[in-house]
Amino acid sequence: MSERSIVPSPFAGLGRALGKGISGGLARLTGTAIGRYQTAVVRMGFSLAWMLFLLREWPHRQELYGPDGVWSWDMAHQLIADNHAFSVLMWTRGQLWFEVVYAGAIVASAMLLLGWRTRTASLLFMIGVLSLQNRSVFVGDGGDNVIHLMAIYLVLTRCGQVWSLDSRRRARIAENSREDGPQDSQDDDPEDGSERGPQRDTTGIVLWSVLGAALVLVTALGLLSWGWAVIFWGFWLAQAVWWAVNRYAPDREPRTVLDIFANLAHNGTLLVIIVEVCLIYATAGWYKIQGNRWQDGTALYYPLHLDDFSPWPELSHAMASSGLMVMVITYGTVIVQVAFPFTLFNRRVKNVLLALMMVEHASIAVVLGLPFFSLAMITADAVFLPTGFLRWVGDRVSRRVRRMGGRTVPEAAAEAAPGADAGAQGQPEPSADPAPSNLVG
Amino acid sequence: MEPPEDVRARPGGGSGGVGALSLPSRIAVALAVAAVAVMVAVHLLAVFLHVAPENTITTQHGDLVAEYIYPEFEQNWKLFAPNPVQQNIHVWARAEVRKGDGSTETTGWVDLTAMDIADIRHNPAPSHTKQNELRRAWSFYTSTHGDQNRPIGTRGEMSRAYVQRIVETRFGPRLNGGAVERVQVRASTTPIAAPPWSNEKINTATSFQVLPWWPVDTKEDGS
Repeated sequence: MSERSIVPSPFAGLGRALGKGISGGLARLTGTAIGRYQTAVVRMGFSLAWMLFLLREWPHRQELYGPDGVWSWDMAHQLIADNHAFSVLMWTRGQLWFEVVYAGAIVASAMLLLGWRTRTASLLFMIGVLSLQNRSVFVGDGGDNVIHLMAIYLVLTRCGQVWSLDSRRRARIAENSREDGPQDSQDDDPEDGSERGPQRDTTGIVLWSVLGAALVLVTALGLLSWGWAVIFWGFWLAQAVWWAVNRYAPDREPRTVLDIFANLAHNGTLLVIIVEVCLIYATAGWYKIQGNRWQDGTALYYPLHLDDFSPWPELSHAMASSGLMVMVITYGTVIVQVAFPFTLFNRRVKNVLLALMMVEHASIAVVLGLPFFSLAMITADAVFLPTGFLRWVGDRVSRRVRRMGGRTVPEAAAEAAPGADAGAQGQPEPSADPAPSNLVG
Repeated sequence: MEPPEDVRARPGGGSGGVGALSLPSRIAVALAVAAVAVMVAVHLLAVFLHVAPENTITTQHGDLVAEYIYPEFEQNWKLFAPNPVQQNIHVWARAEVRKGDGSTETTGWVDLTAMDIADIRHNPAPSHTKQNELRRAWSFYTSTHGDQNRPIGTRGEMSRAYVQRIVETRFGPRLNGGAVERVQVRASTTPIAAPPWSNEKINTATSFQVLPWWPVDTKEDGS
């Protein structure tokens, strides 16, 4: 062994590795929608939180958002004339219009929850969220704020690829066309008899036409700002192009290119969602560090003694009675919030912190009486859950549902492919997705 | 931009990756990649600067950031930060009512916040009308008013009208057998006592901020 052996450069091969990483990454960004299960959970969680909130506030809907609500229509009009926020409730003051919008927001949430016509549902969901929240900006809290942002982001994701009625329909159509293809057998399923070709979609065409007519009307009446007009018309035209390409050139290049566009938008938006959640925790944590109550370890004590955030005063005061416990939770909260973004680089640590944050938010739901805020935050956290864990939960849930409801999934796909969990997974799993077997992977 | 050579086949799809595409398609994809990258970067930078404290960049380009963020991407995550609220604030109101015989009477003070709290108690899902409405209206009022209840800008007058509307809605047009003609609002602030294990001394006496009387718009009830 020579005394002066040359230490190999740590940068050797860096250029090649970098090039390979970039090209591999590019292939992944264009070729797949990353985090299909995570975005599906985000979709379901936010639509559920908003739907439950709207149902809970049903008796108070006039007071919160109605034409004669406490934040009067004229006040809202004055504010929106100034900040140009989007709200269809500002189109007319009518009581009937308000009822239609509120009920429509609930329906859109249900559509998105089930993943029925997911892209359209996500747009309608966004319209509902923005219209109601922007109508009365002074009744919301942090939970409304997260839902507002995510409602916009979800529109650009392919969040209906799994765990949706859309994915089930796609699987069924694929199954049918595979059967029809080579053997040209008679299709004896009465329900799917009409779907002879792979892309015969009457419901979609009707939905698209109705929404197109509505879009023509509101554009003609001059109700949309040019920015929103471009967005809505853009999505409407994109739907038509996507349908046409699928129908007339399903295996050709334009279809591939459109698929790449959709994947790029999805993956870019997923990154935005991920960073957004990190920014929420980072700012929440970093601003806390500056406060002397978070430094002296008593911060938690005070919210537990706020009258309007203690629905269960006995519980709150019991929790606040132990100085040590208050200190541990106070410090723990800051540590977890500040550390979280950096733990994303270590899978195990990230998963432990994720579990802690979800438990904390679940406690906030009960102790501070903020169930919708908590559901929204837990859903935001869920974007970081491991795919293997999500698939395991999805599998358990679908099995249980099938066992309890007998045949709640009377789908052709489930019949045609015995043993395949079509109800839960819809599509074959791409091999690129790692599937760890448990939470801490 | 030269497409990468070792592009894997698109999972679950029929055709190959970007490398298998024609030149115009590859150009379109390259442009899309660039567009998405730029939009994501701009968005994240704007959101970051929006949630970050005032700094070198925001003092110079704050208007640009605000123009991008407002109204739809506005956000505030200073949850219980830098310090949690350490006092219980209650909003009270009373009314001057005109009786049938022409005499006027002033009602006692009504603790509107206490009524909200009574509704929140043992309620697993409190309503925004009880948890946020009055609380946020009051903080809107205080943040848009200076000394001696002087409104700051147009938002000041807006917040006053909002608080008044909440009071009027809760009282209704008639109270104690008379028509409501004027309302008055006051806020009580009670600091939360220091924890028992702390040797800090905090004065927990309640202080009041009393606002002037506001005439009610009586057009609707025609009295």
